Amino acid sequence: MEAVLKNLSSTVELLAVAAYSGTVEQWEKYNVSRAFDWARYCEHIYSRYHSNPAIRRVMEQQLELTNQSLQDVIPGYTEVSFSDLPRLQHLLLVGLLNNPEVPISLLKMLFDTRGPVDNMKSEYQDVTGLCSHIIQCKAACKVLSPLTELSAAGAEVQGRMLMERLGALLSRGSDTRPAEHFLGCVLQECEGAGRQFCLVITAALLTTKNSAAQTAPREFLLDWLQNKHSVLQSLPATLLIDLAKEHKKFRDAYCDVLKKWASDMEYIISEGEWVQTSTNPTVSFQKLTERFMALFEACPSLRAKTEKELKALKISDGDFDVKGLSVWGDLLSALNM
Amino acid sequence: MSELQPLSQPQQTAEPLLNVQEMQFWLDKAVAWGQADSPDTQKDTCLHLNRLRDFLQQLLAHISNMSSTAETMKKLPLLGQFLGRLCWNPYVTAGDTSRNLLLQCLWGLYSEHPSNAVERKANQWIRKVLCQLATEEDDGVAQALMKHMGVPAKEYHLNVLTKMVALLQENVGKSCCSLSNINQRCSCDNILATSDACVPLITCPEASPLIGALLQQPVTCVKEALSEDFLDALSSAYSSRNLSLEEQALVSLWHHSLPSLEEAVLSLLESVTNTTSTPQMLHQQVAQSLLPKACAQHCSLFLVTNDIFRSVLKQAEGNESVKSLVQTFTRCFLWELALLQPQTSVSLKAFFPQSPPSLLVPLLTLPSEMPQESWRNHLNWLSGSLQRLTEEEEEGNGDSRSTRGHYKVFETWFLLVQCAHWVQAAVQLLVTSPEDCGPLLRLLTFYHHPTNRWHHRALQLVGAREAWEHLRSVFSVSARPPIDRLQSLVTLPSSPAPLLTLSLLVNFAVFCQQPLSVSTEILQTVVHHSGLVDEAACVLSSLELRLSEGSCLSNDRVHLRIKELQKTLTHMH
Repeated sequence: MEAVLKNLSSTVELLAVAAYSGTVEQWEKYNVSRAFDWARYCEHIYSRYHSNPAIRRVMEQQLELTNQSLQDVIPGYTEVSFSDLPRLQHLLLVGLLNNPEVPISLLKMLFDTRGPVDNMKSEYQDVTGLCSHIIQCKAACKVLSPLTELSAAGAEVQGRMLMERLGALLSRGSDTRPAEHFLGCVLQECEGAGRQFCLVITAALLTTKNSAAQTAPREFLLDWLQNKHSVLQSLPATLLIDLAKEHKKFRDAYCDVLKKWASDMEYIISEGEWVQTSTNPTVSFQKLTERFMALFEACPSLRAKTEKELKALKISDGDFDVKGLSVWGDLLSALNM
Repeated sequence: MSELQPLSQPQQTAEPLLNVQEMQFWLDKAVAWGQADSPDTQKDTCLHLNRLRDFLQQLLAHISNMSSTAETMKKLPLLGQFLGRLCWNPYVTAGDTSRNLLLQCLWGLYSEHPSNAVERKANQWIRKVLCQLATEEDDGVAQALMKHMGVPAKEYHLNVLTKMVALLQENVGKSCCSLSNINQRCSCDNILATSDACVPLITCPEASPLIGALLQQPVTCVKEALSEDFLDALSSAYSSRNLSLEEQALVSLWHHSLPSLEEAVLSLLESVTNTTSTPQMLHQQVAQSLLPKACAQHCSLFLVTNDIFRSVLKQAEGNESVKSLVQTFTRCFLWELALLQPQTSVSLKAFFPQSPPSLLVPLLTLPSEMPQESWRNHLNWLSGSLQRLTEEEEEGNGDSRSTRGHYKVFETWFLLVQCAHWVQAAVQLLVTSPEDCGPLLRLLTFYHHPTNRWHHRALQLVGAREAWEHLRSVFSVSARPPIDRLQSLVTLPSSPAPLLTLSLLVNFAVFCQQPLSVSTEILQTVVHHSGLVDEAACVLSSLELRLSEGSCLSNDRVHLRIKELQKTLTHMH
């Protein structure tokens, strides 16, 4: 373990040199290759030990020490945390490319077009053409994306990755906080791209539908979604119905969402219609009714219960049978209850 | 001083014509491509990719000729803007060649030792662009996920790309133009669009499953489903060895694009004629080229390949390596065809439309498929038919039909070349049962001298007979023949048909009743003095091959003799 910690520390220092120091001026190809090899080693360390709390703690402590000493020496140093370890090669690359002292010959090597992939023989990983390959992949995705459904492929990959990560976080122990934290962070960062996030969640739920190995993260995700109405309401209707069929808790949550939408509605006399008053109207009265009906069709047991609830709400509104006075009354009559 | 400049720097006056207008044209294009992302823009970009590559090449030459970046920027102020815009165009950066050229242009603008502000700024800008290209993400969700999930960018993009390719591959597989439902919208447009989009991705290995699927799409629609640009790009990538395709995808490529087929055939010809290979090696080379398999699947490919062989042979009819190739190729082709035959029912005539029909089946039948006793009759009949055909055409053409006559003779001869196993059988018979050798000698002479220029064929026949008789007498004496008797054989290369004589010699050495030591010595002497060691070894190898393949199991004695003779020849090198 001591050796591992030493290596970890050295690699972080190496990264700092690559990103901030002028010594890179003298680096040659094998220096770069070796740096990437060490970064890959740390990635491997992470995947082996991240689920072991004791070792993880020890490593975090080591990293803290290393970060501290580096911070003292390098102005503007960005810390490398334990959770950064799986992406260490990427961080190394970012550091190198941002360091103005890196000799142009090394850059040329990184951006060279890679030859036939046959680097089993060399001592170190062949980093020639590393950047070239990344650019090619990104460009290829962009070239092909008009042909596929909008963002479908990206969302699917992202969904799969999300579930894998959830699974990994949940397998660590009974503490669900890291998983919640993870989802929360992602949601927060995707604030501006809400629709994309929904696509990811949709893909995540669809791809794990029949997978036995993924029940734990799936359950967790569904639980988490129940409270996140903003996400729920943007998911496709068919998916929601499927999920409601599967899980009782989800069923109730969805029903609650629909009721909340109804309660947000106001009757516009000029149009003769109930309309949502929130800033982003998601659904019309018609659509709302359709959703309720679809839900009842999928989950017949819900019908009676909801009917009772709606009736109670109608009574609290005055129990009038005139259209336009109570959304609950109108809803009940639209649903033939 | 200024008057001397044009003289001392001829490069500047003889510059490639890189004018400002062209630069402006391409800059406008780059701007337009960057602004919109509609199908039209995409199509426009793909259409211009080739010309853009050429232009970048010119630019690169231009930049290299300049003495400093400052000078380059002064001459072409729009250059930076242009290159910068291209960097963000995925169609340009996806393809290996165009990306490479673009990067080379950037490197060309980088100054090792910047001497002024312009150059320093250029350096900074170049580094920044490169960093952004390799590390920045424009997809917010992707960025968030990657950061919180600890997935490196490269792995992520690779996964997405692989997934996209798989999805598209599925789509290609699904969409089939069904003629039964006319109302169904033809999905060939999708295929066309996909093939267009794949043009910059030809050399991207992750995209090759998709390219393979596109190529192997069954051709059901009237419209051409794959774009010309796509096929052209594939063709040129294949010829510069930048492409690796699966077997069936390659066959499909040849089927779709004749130039790529021609390229493949020509490169096979080249590899065969440049090196001396044994018959076994030749067989392997031909089989590995996948051409016989492809020809068996598509009749049109076989016809085109044979046309190429024909034109090569017309230019050099004495070229033995080409003749062997044609024979081996036909053998491999027939074998592949037999494998497929239960499923397809194409008649042989379709594959050999120009050959004389009466000779087709008799020649294509292998000697090993016939009892050895019937060979003589068969060969006599063949010889007679050939003679009849050639004489008919050659005599009935005092007038303008001369070219037509030669056409038929040529086709007959070509078929014989394709089925040269009968020529080899004839040689064997001449040696083992020497009665009534006339027809056999005629057959052999025709094989080696198809054109009857100045009516030399009669002469050549006489020469062949003389050689055969001489050899027979040499090999019938049970003692070591004196050197002078071998003298005339020694002048082999200048005799009428050296290879005819050589194959007779080798066959005599193998099949004669003389003790092996005598045969060996005769062979050794003649071959050594005439310098035809390699050719003799070839004849020996093909004899061995033919004998071991067929069911006409020669006895062990023959095989032993062949082996010993081979050893002798090898030691002569």
